[in-house]
Amino acid sequence: MSILTASRLRVARRRLIHAVPVLVLATFIVFGILKLMPGDIAITLAGENATEERIAEIRQNYGLDRPFLVQYGSWLWNAVQGDLSRSLASGEEVAVQIARSFPITLLIVVMAMGFALVFGIPLGILAASRPDSLVDRVVTSIGSLGIAVPNFWLAMIFVSWFALEFGWFPATGSVPLTQDPGQAIWHAFLPALALASGGMSEVSRQLRSSLVEVMSSPQVRTLHAKGLTPAAILWKHGLKNVSVNLLTVTSLLFNRMLAATVVVEAVFAIPGMGSLIVNAALFRDLPVAQGVVFVMVLVVISVNLVTDLLYTVLDPRIR
Amino acid sequence: MTSRKKSDLRLPFAPMTRREWLMMMGAGTAAALLPGAVFAQGEPRRGGVLRVSGFANPSSLDPATGGAGSDHTYLWTIYDTLVEWDYKTLEPRPGIAQWKFSDPTTMVLTISPNVLFHDDTACDAEAVKFNLDRGRGDDRSNIKADLSSIDSVEVTGPLEVTVRLTRPDSALPAILSDRAGMMVSPTAAGKLGDEHDRKGVGAGPWKLVEWADNQNITVTRHEKYWRDDRGFVDGIEFSIMPERATGLRSVVAGQNDLAYQLPPRLKPLIDRSKDVELVTGPTLYCRQIYLNLSRGPLQDVRVRQAMNFAIDREAFVKVAQSGFGEPAHMNLPSSHWAYDPEVAKLYPHDPDKARALLAEAGFKDGFDLTIGGYTDADSVRRGEILMDQLGKIGIRLRFTNGTVAEISAQYFGQEKKFDSLVSAWTGRPDPAMSYGLMYAKDAYFNAGRVEVSAELTELLAKSRESEDMAVRKEIFSRLQRIVMEQALVVPIAFDAEMTAISKKVVGYRPNLIGKPKYEFVSLAS
Repeated sequence: MSILTASRLRVARRRLIHAVPVLVLATFIVFGILKLMPGDIAITLAGENATEERIAEIRQNYGLDRPFLVQYGSWLWNAVQGDLSRSLASGEEVAVQIARSFPITLLIVVMAMGFALVFGIPLGILAASRPDSLVDRVVTSIGSLGIAVPNFWLAMIFVSWFALEFGWFPATGSVPLTQDPGQAIWHAFLPALALASGGMSEVSRQLRSSLVEVMSSPQVRTLHAKGLTPAAILWKHGLKNVSVNLLTVTSLLFNRMLAATVVVEAVFAIPGMGSLIVNAALFRDLPVAQGVVFVMVLVVISVNLVTDLLYTVLDPRIR
Repeated sequence: MTSRKKSDLRLPFAPMTRREWLMMMGAGTAAALLPGAVFAQGEPRRGGVLRVSGFANPSSLDPATGGAGSDHTYLWTIYDTLVEWDYKTLEPRPGIAQWKFSDPTTMVLTISPNVLFHDDTACDAEAVKFNLDRGRGDDRSNIKADLSSIDSVEVTGPLEVTVRLTRPDSALPAILSDRAGMMVSPTAAGKLGDEHDRKGVGAGPWKLVEWADNQNITVTRHEKYWRDDRGFVDGIEFSIMPERATGLRSVVAGQNDLAYQLPPRLKPLIDRSKDVELVTGPTLYCRQIYLNLSRGPLQDVRVRQAMNFAIDREAFVKVAQSGFGEPAHMNLPSSHWAYDPEVAKLYPHDPDKARALLAEAGFKDGFDLTIGGYTDADSVRRGEILMDQLGKIGIRLRFTNGTVAEISAQYFGQEKKFDSLVSAWTGRPDPAMSYGLMYAKDAYFNAGRVEVSAELTELLAKSRESEDMAVRKEIFSRLQRIVMEQALVVPIAFDAEMTAISKKVVGYRPNLIGKPKYEFVSLAS
């Protein structure tokens, strides 16, 4: 059976068409917010003791004196042609900045997803296999703790212990995957672990509740009656039934982690997408902020699209 | 062991704010702590790469087009300046060039031979003329105002440039120790155009290898550097980490060798690490209350004087700056060459006298004073201390807080909001620049645009006339006295430079500007 059936292509096409207004709206809102915020990059660019004339001159040079909609329109027009423009603050091409920062963030998020699934799934199964037992209560408590503890706090604890006290991991920074994969993973380990805590809890709790529901269904009672072993019921029937739920949780988690890296990147001084957009917002560096939002929205839309397609693979009833 | 862990746990929570990169420089009690200890550790070793945690991405690596005060520490590695300054007093000294005023409006620059830019272009009279003209006339130059006293620049020899001025300007040597004196290769500037912002080529001890925005800047040895008494390390790698606590952690963890302009409250983290030491020194960075002399009660000199008597500067340094820095009695710190100890005695902490002055001015029951401030935690804390101290004489501060750019623009710009502003003066290489920018009638930082007195105006002009340091010192004493007697400002405290260095860093010297220079730094093997 081909993966790309006509109906799936239809889903993909529909999703892509929906993506266009989302993309425009998201970038427009960010542009608007940055414009509404007090402060003016022209003042920053003009340096200390700048005269009013110099500031006006800079506004004109960078086109900051044009009407709001004209500025947005011109940015959008260039962006759809693949030109994300240059940073106002430093003159570097936004595309270059994103190409450098995105892989760093992606590595952390992918590793964090890995941690969340590797720890979260077994914990969820464990809890669901003996509902309301001591094991279940312990797992649920760990889950609550994982969600309650802010990941930036956890990140700071990790730095204090594993980087400063024991010296096992680097306290700050990152290494590109292409330069040294071992070092890249080593640098991303603590940030990813800190980022994963909430995700791990969410995966285990969601998996537990869906599994408990499935395992108490009449269908499973029938399977028991047919004489299947509990292990076979769990692996062959239970997990298959909760896979759609798990996929939903995973994709939501991935999108949320992309955003949550902002804080973790700040703690570890990682020059990823989070740092990029925070700096851009602080300096009113519109092209950079817009570029990051543009790319992030594209990523989220792609993740959602892949998720939608995977639904139809996992559960043929979904069209 | 347990207690160590516990205290380490607390450290990362030190609330850090973005604004500190604008606000922190350094001052100091610690003048005494430092110099001897850090210099004099034998012959500097050549080689090794110094790793520095920087807290701000440069605005540009072209000295003429950039604007951020945090750029200098990067620029100084790439660019040598025509004039340099003494680390401790800021007295100007020859750099690439020697200067001489043949008359008050003519300055002759004699350029050292054999100075080469990183692209092998000679740094000669033509290059210096190119740079001065570029600074004065280029569309994108941010240093036009600094060079406004120059009328023309002439090449009068292969290594001699004659600068003709429209008015006497003895501040020019100091100005040429700042951005305006950083020599850019004319070949590179011509060829690269705007790209020179990112690929700056100078004649400094190191040349630029790479600048990745908000990530890192790498410089490597300029093999044909003209002096062999400095530039010891083979290269410098700057990692850009906006959070200063994080930057310091990278030094404690051994990933970097140096982090600078740290807030005093991070000192415990440095103290606890056995491989890191603290270097401090006084700086020009003066925290102060700016006063709009055209508004309400502040028009009365007695009110302004009362405010100066009401401030307990020693207590402020102790509480707000963990004891680092020094109380400010004028706009110059005690180690500056133009400091006058007599002026410093004008305002001892005397709340009774302050209340008496207020009563005399007709404000027996005090009054409300609107004041601009900034939103970060440290600024708010400083504001609360001032609120308490001024509250004791009946002046009730009514704060409006916001970002630096926003509040400063509202106070100094067209809007003219608030009676006063609690902020800081970052200092300039020459005191004539500071006094001119803050107290001249039309100066941007004189929010009320008030002419205080004809004598002050005359002294401001005179402060640039003579190049005799003794004469200038005398003029600055008179200027400072007028500024303080008229209470045009409420100076509070100078920050201390606070730099954390790994123990293998040798020869690091703090300077009065409060921004690190690495020319004399070497690494122990």
